Amino acid sequence: MHAYSLDRPERLRAHLAAQRRLYEVRPDCQGGQHWQTVSSQDRHAFEPSSELPPFSAKSFFFGERELLFRFDGGQFYSALPQVVPQVLFGLHACDLQAVAYQDQFFAQDAHYQARRQATLLVGLDCLHSCNGGFCSVLGSGPAVQAQTADLILLPPAEAGADWGLLAASAAGQQALHGLDLASAHADWPAQRQANEARVRAEQGSQEDIIEGIARLNLQAIDDSTWEALGLRCLGCSGCTSVCPTCSCFAPLDRAEGQGGALRERVWDSCLYQGFQQEASGHNPSATAGQRVQRFWTHKFGEDFRQRFDSYGCVGCGRCDRVCPGSIGVHGVMHKVVQP
Amino acid sequence: MRVVPSICSFCGVGCGIGLRVEDGRVIGVEPQPGHPVSQGQLCAKGWASSFAIDAHGRLTQPLIKEHGQFRPASWDEALERVAEGLRNAQDERGPGGVGVISCARASNEDNYAAQKFARAVLGSNNIDHCARICHSPSVAGLSRTLGSGAMSNSIADIDQAELILVVGADVTENHAMIGARMLRAQARGATLIVIDPRRTRLARLADIHLQLRLGSNIALLNALLKIILERGWENTAFLAERCEDIAPLRAHLAELSLAQCSEQCGIAVAELERVAYLFSQVKTAFTAYGMGITQFQSGTNNVIALSNLVLLCGQIGRPGTGINPLRGQNNVQGACDMGCLPNVYPGYQAVADPAVRARFSTAWGRAVPEAPGLTSLGMMHAAQQGELRALLIMGEDPLQTDPDQNQVARAFAALDLLVVVELSLTATARQADVLLPAAAFAEKDGTFTNCERRVQRIRQAIAPPGLARGDWQILGELARRMDYAGMAWRDAEAVFDEMAALTPIFSAMNYPALDAHHGLQWPCDSAHPQGSPILHQQGFPIGRARLLPLSQVEVAELPDAEYPFAFTTQRLHFHYGCGSMTRKSPLLERETPAGLLFIHPEDAAELGLAQHQGVRVRSRRGVLETRIEYHDDLPRGTLSMPYHFSEAPCNRLTNDAQDPISKMPELKACAVALEALAPGQAPDIHMGTSEVSHARL
Amino acid sequence: MIDSTPRRLHLLEQYEDGEDSRHFSLRIEQPAASDLAAKAGQFFMLTLPGVGEAPFTYVSLPDAQGCFTALVRRAGRLTQALFDQPAGSVLGYRGPFGHGWPLFFNAQPLLVVAGGCGLAPLAGVIEQASRQAMPARLSVIYGARHSGAQVLGRERARWQQTLPFIETFDQAAPGQRQGTPLLHLDEVFAAGPPAALLCCGPEPLMRASAEACLQRGLRADRIWLSLERRMHCADGLCGHCYLGSSYVCQDGPTYRYDRYLQLLGRSSPISQAPPALFC
Repeated sequence: MHAYSLDRPERLRAHLAAQRRLYEVRPDCQGGQHWQTVSSQDRHAFEPSSELPPFSAKSFFFGERELLFRFDGGQFYSALPQVVPQVLFGLHACDLQAVAYQDQFFAQDAHYQARRQATLLVGLDCLHSCNGGFCSVLGSGPAVQAQTADLILLPPAEAGADWGLLAASAAGQQALHGLDLASAHADWPAQRQANEARVRAEQGSQEDIIEGIARLNLQAIDDSTWEALGLRCLGCSGCTSVCPTCSCFAPLDRAEGQGGALRERVWDSCLYQGFQQEASGHNPSATAGQRVQRFWTHKFGEDFRQRFDSYGCVGCGRCDRVCPGSIGVHGVMHKVVQP
Repeated sequence: MRVVPSICSFCGVGCGIGLRVEDGRVIGVEPQPGHPVSQGQLCAKGWASSFAIDAHGRLTQPLIKEHGQFRPASWDEALERVAEGLRNAQDERGPGGVGVISCARASNEDNYAAQKFARAVLGSNNIDHCARICHSPSVAGLSRTLGSGAMSNSIADIDQAELILVVGADVTENHAMIGARMLRAQARGATLIVIDPRRTRLARLADIHLQLRLGSNIALLNALLKIILERGWENTAFLAERCEDIAPLRAHLAELSLAQCSEQCGIAVAELERVAYLFSQVKTAFTAYGMGITQFQSGTNNVIALSNLVLLCGQIGRPGTGINPLRGQNNVQGACDMGCLPNVYPGYQAVADPAVRARFSTAWGRAVPEAPGLTSLGMMHAAQQGELRALLIMGEDPLQTDPDQNQVARAFAALDLLVVVELSLTATARQADVLLPAAAFAEKDGTFTNCERRVQRIRQAIAPPGLARGDWQILGELARRMDYAGMAWRDAEAVFDEMAALTPIFSAMNYPALDAHHGLQWPCDSAHPQGSPILHQQGFPIGRARLLPLSQVEVAELPDAEYPFAFTTQRLHFHYGCGSMTRKSPLLERETPAGLLFIHPEDAAELGLAQHQGVRVRSRRGVLETRIEYHDDLPRGTLSMPYHFSEAPCNRLTNDAQDPISKMPELKACAVALEALAPGQAPDIHMGTSEVSHARL
Repeated sequence: MIDSTPRRLHLLEQYEDGEDSRHFSLRIEQPAASDLAAKAGQFFMLTLPGVGEAPFTYVSLPDAQGCFTALVRRAGRLTQALFDQPAGSVLGYRGPFGHGWPLFFNAQPLLVVAGGCGLAPLAGVIEQASRQAMPARLSVIYGARHSGAQVLGRERARWQQTLPFIETFDQAAPGQRQGTPLLHLDEVFAAGPPAALLCCGPEPLMRASAEACLQRGLRADRIWLSLERRMHCADGLCGHCYLGSSYVCQDGPTYRYDRYLQLLGRSSPISQAPPALFC
């Protein structure tokens, strides 16, 4: 892994944007922030927020609405997305860990891979914890893990100082071709460690999370606790929409024109009552409590952790923010630890 | 991918959303972090917005019906046909022969255009919209007691309340972000009290649930008032400073028996005392109510009874308090504000006031009508009697959502011309003579006003499908063909600016100011340039507030031997209105069978009904077939149906007995009989529709 | 890479086969080697273009021409629309998917318990035993609500000639056996305890049958169930068919009972299923 010193991250951004379609998180006029395209001519300073955008990078690869095939009345035609080479600039460690998780899950999925393989990932170490994040406890951050990114930006501890830049993959190294870069100062590993220690301290011990995971895997949480949580689940699908590792989808079939048809797949949520409902009316997860239990088992269950070599939760805390029933990750873990 | 900030189009809460646009299509939505109402959250309907907006199944060109079949037409031909039909109806019956039903889902700009079209072009005050069937009693009741029918406080006041009282509102399901906020308030220590005949989710989570007998709101509220006065728990300073003399109320309550009130509402006196104590003694109590108050023949009086309670304890005019009707449709507040009511101009300026009429006549360059207009139900009756000959409906589906559908069908059949402006082919749209394709909220600029009077910007994210256009553009073009040039606006902002210039409570609003503040709450004028989050802080619009004596009014139709079950209607979290938008989501559509009847499991057991068995439901007005679902939300002896499903239109059963003041039909209570279908027999979704279809032929 | 685009499937004919059920004859256009290697108990995804897609089991497996049969029970919009399709319609096909029944038995007695349309996934196994194409000796207990609700009428008529085939009914007519299949287990065990149980029907029936056989000395690892789950992608991705940490479309639909219990126990409680034993 080559380490470079970078005077201004905007220079790297302009370089990459000249080769590919570049996305960066930018504020909108209404207090939100979103992934937006940025041209190589863009003059805005790269000033990443320590708060995560409402949406992770998930939708770049696992499309919210993805066309699977068309039918013209006689023949079926596969549809694959046409994706121009793109770069996501400034992904936090947790969101990159989630991409790595989904890379495994969707390894054989042609639509996901078509989008994913057209994409260069530029990670960004966090200097401070975001509000509600707990990546340090789950091992998904705050430092970007090398195998999850192509390039890694190391912000300076003091404003105005040089940034660090790590080439974490061959594609990342290649993307730097033509960019004039000096070697990094020798102290960058120490700086990363200091950042990590700072974020870890800011995030605290997160005892509810640790204890909650243990209780969940010991099956020490009784049905009545799950059902009490279920009563607070409105089935809105907010948590599954913003969760960077959630991957469930449903088909949407539509007739089109004269005898034609198409099928899309659309994001689905295991919290919906109808998610497992069978044609016969039988529902293996008929109660809201069972569905809430399922969701968290999928995130923290040992079976899944072994299969993916990491938890399905990356500690971003987005579910806490979008849950109208206050049963995002901290809400749930608090209640299962102290029912 | 780009994200266009907008406002959710599903209910009166007005949550901030971002429309996620890819390749000219809205593929998803995201919540707006930091939005003052929704605080970065959405409900199931909001999250599913992209399906509702989808171009699939949308009307893309004007259609004219010939020999019972629709055929495509150009805008020219369709609008010429409409103009001619409207002129014929006017020639035959005068301005009373035409009417417009506007839409509580359309933008303020569309609604302003609708009432201007009715008044300036058609010369008629026959302009109304569906607030008639959700909150007209709020307007009528609160106008009498306070002088203003809107939410007195803001949704954010929930954060400051020590006590939250919810009456007849299923808030977590229907106004989910308000329900969520109430639960967060409870978690930080506020007391949550729910008064509802159904054991809703919020009722289950509440500190206190008073499960009153269906339709006994006044008895229960009178009992609370009586207890408070007898114990001297009333807010004497507030009453002295801000209210008219309460002696008549005191005298009236003194004559009532507490035991009798308790028996009428089915709540023990001790429980009533506990609630009376808490509500009167906390510093701040936030009161919210829904259609469990308004949809009764005593709807206006129910509102007044609740207003009495709030006033008696002085729980209004301060942060964390207030009386707050939770409005249903995303822009029902705006449709009222814009004057889509037969008796008021924008900003509730009275049609009866000659000075107001003179002002609008001058501004619009047309003599405006003096004769009072008809309500939408009035228009239906007038149509059946041959007095109303032509009707223009913008985006509403009265055939499915109004009470007593057979009457609506007969009214449509009797018209010479029915024009419907719609997104898709609803039941009402099918009956149209001319059907005009409208642009959806993601396809146009404009504003919506949420239930807390917050006017918020919606922004065009994508192009309308095919030839569809915004309602105000359609009406403007129609006006031009009817020789009126005063509606040829440049853009939505021009419509808004014209409205604001004529409407004192909006006088300081404009698009840039709305953009800068996540919207502004009216009144917003030179005295309140930042808007008014809390009303009635100094005085009431009528000066001193009024507390009015009332007596319990029984529902018009009680269960009897022939129709032994009480019957009520409700909504589901996953669906909205007639389902024309939510049912396009494969995920929401999957959640519930298309049409169902909720029944207490013990009632079902007694009748030997299996889960999801087919049943026939009959009232004095109609019959339908659907499936049952066990639900212990309901007390025994009471059945409930959601009204979202055309397969099981419960308003074929409901009573059109009306509130004499607001004309609100009693949708929340009637009596029905239940009959099991054979096990395995599927409900006949056409059962009971024969009259509807014959009426048209 | 997964290709989730269906291939063309021709509807050859359909006939009534039990209450609300029809028997479909279908032909895969240009069958692939994998189609011809399908096993009894596996399933395929059938698309009606513009309406939807759903999993169905093979009643008879694809032959060299790609022809096979399937039983479809009317349960909703898709199946109703399928019933309305004329012969010659072009449908979509993906498959085969999942794991079929274990077929490694020697000449041992085998017990098959089926409920309602749960007979369909077992048809391939019964058919092979009936034709003595496999060494195992097979007994069948088939339960249904009433005789009108029985499926696979033509097949049963044939099987009854060659196998011990007990039919039971919730609502028995005179001369018929009353009650669930469980009431008739002792009769089969008395004739010779089976070496394995293959079971398909509503989940409560399968669990009850498995428990009853456990009580009679059969080991949990000699019991197989075929589960119904909502399935959409059949590639183990869409998430709907989960059973604990397993996806039924990939690891099932047949599960060994001990594995099934382990999956249920580890991550999801046994659901409060409706009492009905037959679909």
